Amino acid sequence: MVKKPTFSQEIANMLYASHGNPLSSCIQCGTCAGTCPVVHYMDHTPRKLIGLINSDYKDEVLASNTYWFCASCYHCTVRCPSGIDIAEMMYALKRYSMWKNRYREGLIGPVFSETFVKTIVKSGRSYEPVLAPTYLFSFGIREFVQEAVTATNMMIKGRLPVLPPRIKRLENFKQMVGRIIPIGEVR
Amino acid sequence: MSEKIGVYVCHCGTNIAGTVDVVNVAHWAEEQLKHRGVVIARDYKFMCSSLGQELIEKDIQELGLTRVIVSACSPHLHETTFRNACARAGLNPYLCELVSIREQCSWVHTDGTAATEKAKAIISGGVERVHHNEALEPLHVPIHPSTLVVGGGIAGIQAALELADAGFQVCLVEREPSIGGHMAQFDKTFPTLDCSACILTPKMVQVGSHPNITLYTWSEVERVDGYVGNFTVTIRKKARYVNTDTCTGCGICWEKCPKKVVDNVFEAGLGKRKAIYTPFPQSVPKYPVIDVENCIYFERGKCKACQIFCPTEPNSINFEQEDELIQLEVGNIILATGYDLFDSKRIPQYGYGRLSNVFTSLEFERMCNASGPTEGKIVLRDGKTVPKTVAIVHCVGSRDENYNEYCSAICCMQSLKFAHLVMERTDAEVYNCYIDLRTPAKGYEEFYRRVLEEGGHFIRGKVAEVTDSARFPDEEGKLIVQVEDTLIGKQRRIPVDMVILSAGLEPRHDAKEVAHLFGISCSADGWFIEKHPKLDPVATMTEGIFIAGVVQGPKDIPASVAQGAAASARVLGRIQQGEIALEPIRASVIEEKCSGCRICNDLCPFNAILFHEDRMVSEINPALCQGCGTCVAACPAGAIVGTAFSNEQILAQIEGLLLINLQSPSRVLA
Amino acid sequence: MKKYAYFPGCSLEKMAQSYHLSTIETTRKLGVELEELEDWNCCGATTYFHVDQLLAHTLVARNLAMAERKSLDLVAPCSACYKNAFFTNTYLKNDQDLAEHINFALEEDNLHYSGNIEVLHLIEVYVKEVGYEEIRHNVTHPLEGLRVAPYYGCQILRPRKNHEDVEQPRFFEELISAIGAEPVNFPERLRCCGGSLILTSREAALSMVHLLLKSALDHEAEVIATACPLCQVNLECYQQQVNQEFGTSISIPVLYFTQLIGLALEIPPKRLGLGTELVPATKVLSYARRETNE
Repeated sequence: MVKKPTFSQEIANMLYASHGNPLSSCIQCGTCAGTCPVVHYMDHTPRKLIGLINSDYKDEVLASNTYWFCASCYHCTVRCPSGIDIAEMMYALKRYSMWKNRYREGLIGPVFSETFVKTIVKSGRSYEPVLAPTYLFSFGIREFVQEAVTATNMMIKGRLPVLPPRIKRLENFKQMVGRIIPIGEVR
Repeated sequence: MSEKIGVYVCHCGTNIAGTVDVVNVAHWAEEQLKHRGVVIARDYKFMCSSLGQELIEKDIQELGLTRVIVSACSPHLHETTFRNACARAGLNPYLCELVSIREQCSWVHTDGTAATEKAKAIISGGVERVHHNEALEPLHVPIHPSTLVVGGGIAGIQAALELADAGFQVCLVEREPSIGGHMAQFDKTFPTLDCSACILTPKMVQVGSHPNITLYTWSEVERVDGYVGNFTVTIRKKARYVNTDTCTGCGICWEKCPKKVVDNVFEAGLGKRKAIYTPFPQSVPKYPVIDVENCIYFERGKCKACQIFCPTEPNSINFEQEDELIQLEVGNIILATGYDLFDSKRIPQYGYGRLSNVFTSLEFERMCNASGPTEGKIVLRDGKTVPKTVAIVHCVGSRDENYNEYCSAICCMQSLKFAHLVMERTDAEVYNCYIDLRTPAKGYEEFYRRVLEEGGHFIRGKVAEVTDSARFPDEEGKLIVQVEDTLIGKQRRIPVDMVILSAGLEPRHDAKEVAHLFGISCSADGWFIEKHPKLDPVATMTEGIFIAGVVQGPKDIPASVAQGAAASARVLGRIQQGEIALEPIRASVIEEKCSGCRICNDLCPFNAILFHEDRMVSEINPALCQGCGTCVAACPAGAIVGTAFSNEQILAQIEGLLLINLQSPSRVLA
Repeated sequence: MKKYAYFPGCSLEKMAQSYHLSTIETTRKLGVELEELEDWNCCGATTYFHVDQLLAHTLVARNLAMAERKSLDLVAPCSACYKNAFFTNTYLKNDQDLAEHINFALEEDNLHYSGNIEVLHLIEVYVKEVGYEEIRHNVTHPLEGLRVAPYYGCQILRPRKNHEDVEQPRFFEELISAIGAEPVNFPERLRCCGGSLILTSREAALSMVHLLLKSALDHEAEVIATACPLCQVNLECYQQQVNQEFGTSISIPVLYFTQLIGLALEIPPKRLGLGTELVPATKVLSYARRETNE
């Protein structure tokens, strides 16, 4: 009988290429959470999240907003006394969550990431305006208006891209992407 | 084939018998190796037991065995047991070999059939080898009754006193102007809160006045020659520029000295001393030294205040004094050179060196000490403000892959002690920020409970940073300690007035050089390596050199004292015996074959090879040689042979392993 | 002086055009040649790594391969592009399997990466290649008295632990001194600006931006210098939102370090992209104007 990997093993596998120490070497010292600039917006601190992963609390982890609030500033990684690349772990969790399509409701991150990726695959470049709908509609009236004002100001100063850019060798680019992940016809 | 060989196959309970069919193996040996000299082969449940050993002894006496092979566990464990058994029965112990069919067979294979075949091959190898064994006698080397102790901290002091009290001569060498080591810097010691100097100075005084102890302070060992029982040590007695025959230690010279210097050693940089000084008032010996680099006279020929005011007749200050080289003969050496504190500047986010009210543990000890720079008052760097909140940071530079992976053993207790002292002497709130609280020894856990009762706050979290960048009004003008309180899962910012860093212990900056000087090794972390981490923590792989105290690894004062006493007990045992028997497993140079290429000289890890210039040949000192075999392998002319590991023995063993002697078709080579 | 392959990154086209302009102008003046990578693609920023690691590395590798084809080291002005390029480069050099897999994909664009080039952040070109002395030598109008807060941000240093002094770097301050200005002691200089959180977690990012702006102002900075377009946009373009959210009235110009260098080299402000800021840099410009008594 084949043993199915536990949740902690799955995450550990996703960290294979991170070149840091495995999550199981965490001594729960709390340096990561003590350093994190965004920790106050996270429901579980980074340390707690690692604890939950190591104990296979998959549902709690996937329902958490912690890794979607990670700014990947890498300060935790640099200070961790057990040599764990915590920021990489946050990326791994984002990927896992998107792959399984399981994440907390109301988070902008997943939809944003998906849109961003689709834009690049389609044109080889990113284009901010197309990302706007992913977050604008979660704003209240006041923030919406503010955002509109900012955007207008930037447009006036010539800082907003008008036309979506694309690279020249787009066909080759798409084939290149296709060799990593076969993608369907992208219209 | 005139040898009569006895083969004994051990079951070792189920350790061997669970995988290897030992009964079958014994039978096989008796039948198949008969033509190779095996006259008896037995199997037994536990060969190392008294009954097992008696089997061997009986056979030697009754059957006139000339060689013995025991196939059981690793020689590291019981080689001595079986060799002694043979010796008791009248057979030279070196005619007995122990071959491992446990660590190298039953414990590493699961296939029983294959393992059994392999065990047979191993025994066959042993049988072939033992034919070439020679009867050897251990080397007897006299032991000089004097001992050298290097390092005048508590461990060295304890060792020296034990030896001296037993009636033997000790030479104690200390690098600083006074003995006492780090313990002399502390204020109180945990968990009893004894005043450190009060319990240390009686021992220091004993050392200073003991008729059997020759004390060289402000001195270092420069060279070590010889071998166990017969070391010749050269000590450099650095010039104090003070004549110790006439100096009374009155202290007028350092009172009058105009040059103040930051004392980075004893005062940990917190206080000052003069250019002529004794490190602390209770120094042993009482004689000061002149710090040449900071003395005005040595800099530009002026001043001489010390000399002018020295009241003794003749004057005790001698600017022309020179270093003295002293040579002495000792039988054993004990190294107790202690530790250096981790440099907290290596962790910039803790702000040491940048934020003025961040202190290291040693700085804080000096602050608390009544004869320290603040006379025992706990104050900020300005010298007057009493802190209202203090944070104590655990694990600075320890348990951290980025600095030192190991735990420094004493800092948790030290931090608790600091918490207690702060609460005792001020009204301050104290926060201990820790990962784990390591309070294992006698009275330690109770001390922790005491600090809890006294109102100390404990935050379980490793401090992420110490900053002065305030974000909220109550943080203005304070140092902020940012840490996750892991027990409640929140990042907290704690405004404090003073931060104390419990910095870790590190080997001395020149530990590697010192180890090399004495012919011992350091571990990867830099601590000196003991002979066996569990069963022999004070001996080293080099005969005659012992280690004691933190130099062997972080430990508290009771453990250092115990090791100092243990090392001296070992030395006393040697001295009592008057001579030591060394294992005769040694290499030796066949002079006729030696071409004088000297390749072996530098390869020897024990500095055991001398070169005779006149005859252009190398010679191996049998007392220093540990029989590692490096030179034997390295010699291009094959001019070095090892007793008990000669080429004949090794080649014979290989042939035995391959069962060439049997011309057997089944050869297990795994 | 050396020639580099220049990888501007998506932001420098429009959003951070002033960074691009001032880079080109100043490097030219200091004798460094930057050849823009032909047909470069987006590096994926942080967001691509949220979705697929292998593809994210491939995107970066395409740019590395193009630079390698010209035998030029790659220079990236944006910290995120730099971090991606640096690490993809390191992984490709050390991991044979990864290199094989990615080169297989790169074949479709007739590219191949053998790991023969290095990756630098744009600021390294000024600090290491040109050097403080040479810059000082070329500065004709030192920005004396201008208090500049050097904002490092995060990905310019981290996660490379062994590089520089990751917790206490000095190169940005030294660069500011080299152009005659006064670097301000800015304790939050290594703290993250929030990056893409400004879009996905607005509230969190605004609190981070607020902290940085407040810290700079508390230490009497007159301008914040950045080395990354994401940082610049976050710190400058959202000051209004920060004020609304936290009831403050913060207004401080945020410029690229290349713009400041350009001013010290007396390159006309227009050519450095000055004029496109949302928070006017009039004060800064006054330091750059030569006082003449004519």
